[in-house]
Amino acid sequence: MSGMHDDGLHDDGLHDDGLHDEVFDEGGWDDEEFDAGLLEEELRQAAAVLDPVPPELQQIAVDAYALHDLQARVAELTFDSLVDSLPVRGAGDTPRMLTFRAGEVTVDVEVTAHGLMGQVLPPQPARVEVLGGPRPGSSLAADDLGRFTAAAPPPGPFALRLRTGADVVVTEWLRA
Amino acid sequence: MDRTDAGALVQAAADGDAAAWKTLVEGLSPLVWSVVRAHRLSDADAHEVYQTAWFRFAQHLGRIREPGKAGAWLAATARNECLKVIRSSRRLTLTDDPHVLDRVSEDGTPEQSLLDSEEAAAQSERVRRLWQEFEELGERCRQLLRVLMASPPPSYQDVSAALGIAVGSIGPLRQRCLRRLRARLEARGAI
Repeated sequence: MSGMHDDGLHDDGLHDDGLHDEVFDEGGWDDEEFDAGLLEEELRQAAAVLDPVPPELQQIAVDAYALHDLQARVAELTFDSLVDSLPVRGAGDTPRMLTFRAGEVTVDVEVTAHGLMGQVLPPQPARVEVLGGPRPGSSLAADDLGRFTAAAPPPGPFALRLRTGADVVVTEWLRA
Repeated sequence: MDRTDAGALVQAAADGDAAAWKTLVEGLSPLVWSVVRAHRLSDADAHEVYQTAWFRFAQHLGRIREPGKAGAWLAATARNECLKVIRSSRRLTLTDDPHVLDRVSEDGTPEQSLLDSEEAAAQSERVRRLWQEFEELGERCRQLLRVLMASPPPSYQDVSAALGIAVGSIGPLRQRCLRRLRARLEARGAI
């Protein structure tokens, strides 16, 4: 690494203005493609050594097969304040507002640094499980109006599994 | 991963074949990781986006309209989640720390031990230089090449989904970016 950063190279490619391109444009296309293929393959090998998928992470993906659940209906994300609304200028810790929908069932969720609040609509009591991965999550009860709260926001990707009577609905996996 | 293969594996996994799921993960995991890395998230965010993409894929298994396009589905999902991370800027941490590369070289993975053997020292140095020059390419080229170097090589449909660029522009862009990278390596005398 030494000596690689003392040459003012922090140009982020801005000075890499393609001036060298002409040199190669005159060359045969096949030669260029051959060289490009070799270089790409070298990069592929370098990535396998220097930036591989962390094995423990890949194992989580293998274990995620347990999340495959044909009994449950998937409630799709239909509103996400991060995407669908303009940021409020100067507002530091704005809650993340999410809406999920599966048929006639709607789940509104609000995530802040302090926790998670939600409501099942139409209003009805429900068991709500906060999932954080392939293992069983923590369980909450929604009141008669369908409202529920959790004291802490989910630390990583999460989904809500709701049981209302005979119906099971799981919200799309998401990072809060 | 080949479309026919991916389609058959998705179908088998949806029907309860856990081995098919594992094969899917092994075949498409590097693509998802490449998409996440191409967006320069912090390690913590990168891990969470990677997981989110796979959790959602598992959840939608059996409901995916075109199982043969599983790679593109995962790549697009990972990209969307990356863009959300970048949008909620409070979470954004660029991995532009030059010491990241040093750290990689010190963690003693089996691959690294192999490279440490004396006869491989020159090759190791070459790989390091290549990676250094790649990291310093302009953002567009760095992103494209990071996705293209997934193993097995992604289809252009997967790359298109991963980066939101038209399939037809990938070939010319790839040529251009690899040309630039080669020029940089030559300028450093690394070739």
